Amino acid sequence: MREVKYAEAVRAALEAEMAADESVVVMGEEVAALGGVFTVTQGLADRFGEDRVLDSPIAEAGVVGFAIGAAAEGMRPVVEIMFSDFVLLALDQIINLGAKIRYMSNGQFSVPLTIRMPGGGGTNHGPQHSQSLETLFAHVPGLVVAMPGNVSDAYWMLRHAIRSDDPVIFLESKNLYFRTSGDIDARTGPDGFGARVARAGEDLTVVSAGRMVERCELAAEELAAEGVACEVIDLRYLWPLDTASIEASLRRTGKLAVVSEAVEFCGWGGEVAAWASEHCFESLDGPVVRVGSERVPIPYGHALEDEIVPTTERIAGELRKLAIY
Amino acid sequence: MTQTAANPHTPAGAFTGIPVSAAGLDEAHELYRGMTVVRAVELEIEKMHRLGRMSGSFHSSLGQEAAAVGVCAALRGGDMVTSTHRGHGHALAKGVPMEGVFAELFGRTSGVSGGRGGSMHLHDRRSGFLGENAIVAGGLPWAAGAAWARRRRSGGDDIAVAFIGDGGFAQGVTHETLLLSRFWGSPCLIVCENNGLAHSMPSDRLFGAPGSIARIVEGTGMHARYVDGRDVVAVAETAKEMVARVRAGTPAFLECGVFRVRPHSLSDPDYRYRPKSAGRDWMALNDPIANLRTRLEVHPANWVARIDAEVAAEIEAARDRAEAAERPPTAAAKSFVYTSPELQNHA
Repeated sequence: MREVKYAEAVRAALEAEMAADESVVVMGEEVAALGGVFTVTQGLADRFGEDRVLDSPIAEAGVVGFAIGAAAEGMRPVVEIMFSDFVLLALDQIINLGAKIRYMSNGQFSVPLTIRMPGGGGTNHGPQHSQSLETLFAHVPGLVVAMPGNVSDAYWMLRHAIRSDDPVIFLESKNLYFRTSGDIDARTGPDGFGARVARAGEDLTVVSAGRMVERCELAAEELAAEGVACEVIDLRYLWPLDTASIEASLRRTGKLAVVSEAVEFCGWGGEVAAWASEHCFESLDGPVVRVGSERVPIPYGHALEDEIVPTTERIAGELRKLAIY
Repeated sequence: MTQTAANPHTPAGAFTGIPVSAAGLDEAHELYRGMTVVRAVELEIEKMHRLGRMSGSFHSSLGQEAAAVGVCAALRGGDMVTSTHRGHGHALAKGVPMEGVFAELFGRTSGVSGGRGGSMHLHDRRSGFLGENAIVAGGLPWAAGAAWARRRRSGGDDIAVAFIGDGGFAQGVTHETLLLSRFWGSPCLIVCENNGLAHSMPSDRLFGAPGSIARIVEGTGMHARYVDGRDVVAVAETAKEMVARVRAGTPAFLECGVFRVRPHSLSDPDYRYRPKSAGRDWMALNDPIANLRTRLEVHPANWVARIDAEVAAEIEAARDRAEAAERPPTAAAKSFVYTSPELQNHA
C-alpha cells in the first residue's frame, strides 16, 4: 500500500467499513459538506451520500445521545467530535447511558458506537483545544479507550473499533494527522487489543501511548547512543490494558518508565506504575518513573507547551536517571 | 394551534372531563384498567417500602396515570418508549409485565433488569420499553436515535416516544434533541409531563402556566400540542392524532398538564415548599381515575368494579411471585459490562 498520512489512514478506515457495512454511518459537525476540519471525512459524503455522512448541529450531547440510541437499535455510528475537548459536553450521554446500557439492562442492549476525536497538543490550538483527556475515559466501566500512535494503527484500530460491539473512545492525535506518514500494514483484518513493541531493548522498559510513543522512540535513540537499550511499548489501548506485555518486558529489563501526554497527577501512568509495583515488585531494580504533563492547562505556543507536555529531552533525561539503578 | 385549558396545577373546582359515549365504552374501560394497574402497583410499592421489603428510592407518578396510559394506548407493541426516574407508569402502560417490575424492585433475578437496575432502571426490550433514564431528560436522544435507526434498518412505521418532565424541559439536551430529531428526520413523539414541580421548582415560575412549554416548542417549528392530563380520554385522543403524524415520519411534541401528588421521592420533605395538604386536596377534586370512573358509572352497563377486583387480585399474585423469586447470584454483579466476550473476561 502507498505511504499515507495519519489523517488519510483514518479516512481510509472509515471508507473501508462504510463500504463493508451499510449500518456504519458518520455523524458530526462539518463532516459532510466540509469534509471535517482536519479533512478526515473528505469525500465520504460524495461516495456514500449525505444520509450516511450526516452533518450535525453544534450539539455534542444530543448527537452522541442520538448515536447511542441508534447503536442500541443496531446501527454502527461513528461520531466525530471536532476536538476532544468538546466531548466534555457529551459526557453524561457517554458515561451514564452509552457505557452503562448493557449493564443496566442486564444485557438486553449493546452499543456498537465509535466516538472519534483528535486530542492532545502540538498544534498551537491553546488550552481549550489541546487537552489529553484519555484518563477520564479509561476510568469508566463499559468503554474501550483506543489511542493509535502511528499510521497503521490509526487504520486498523479504527476498523476494529467500528466492528466492536462495545462503545469505543477513539483518540486520534491531531499533531500526527499531517506530520506522520507511513505504510498501512498488509493484514487481512484488525488484530486484537494487545500492545505493540515499538522498539526492542533489554535495559529499560518505556510504556507509552498516542503521539508520545514517537518521542519515546526518539529518546530511546539518544540513550542507545549512550549504551542504554530501551524497549518502547506502545499500549495502543488504555483499556483493555495489556498488562501481559508490560510484565513480559519488565521481567527482562527490571526498570519501568511510563510516559503520557495526559496530566501525570492521577493520570493513567499512575495506574500502570501501581500495577507494576503490585505485580512485578520483585523484578523492579528501581522506582517506576512517571513522565506526564504538568497539572497545568496546555498553553498556546510551542515554547510554553514544551514546559508542560513531556518533550523528547525531558523523557530522555528521566530515562537516563532511571538507567543508573 | 395550542389548546388552552384550565390550569391543572391550580384547579378551581372539580374536574369532570368529557363524557364517555356508549360507543367509547370499551376503550374507556381499557384506559381505566391501565390507570388502575399503574395506581395499584405504585401504591403497593409504597407499602413495600413502608414495610422495609423494598429499599432505595421511589418516585411515584400517583395522579399522573392518565398521561402514561393515554399516550401508550396510542402505541403498538413494536413502538419504543424511553422514560425518566418517574417511569413505572410508562413501563406498565407500555406492557411491561407487572411481575417483572415488582421483581426488579425486590432485586430479584426475574426482574426486568435482572435485579441490578432497580426502580429507576427498568428495561424491557420485548415490550418496546427501552428504559427509564435517571438523568433528567437523558433518555430523550436515546428515543430519537432509536426511532431513526429502526426506520432506516427495518422500514415500517414504528415510532418512539420519549417521556420527559417539565424539569427535563430545562435541560440543554432536550433542545438539542428537538432540533436533531427534526433535522435528521426521527419519527419520535416527545411527551412532556408537566407536573408542576421540578423537585421543588414550580414549572409555572420557570415557563408560565401549563401550555407554555408546548407554545415554546411550537415556536421552533415543531408540531406541538397541549392536553389536560386529568382526562385520560382526551390524552388518548390527542395522542392518537399525534402518533399518526409521527408515523408519517416527522417528530412532534405533546405537553400533558398533570400534577405531582406525592413528594418528589419517598424521602422528599415536600412540606418545606408546598402546603402539607397539597396532594390530598388535589386528589379530592382532580383524580384522573376517579373522574373516569364517575363518567363510566353513568352507564348502567359498566364493569369498573370487576376491573378493580381483577387488578387487585393480579397485583397481589404478581407481588407474591416476584418476592418469592431468587436473588441474583453474586457473580451476576460483574456480568454484562461488555458485549465482546474478550472484553467481558478482561473486565
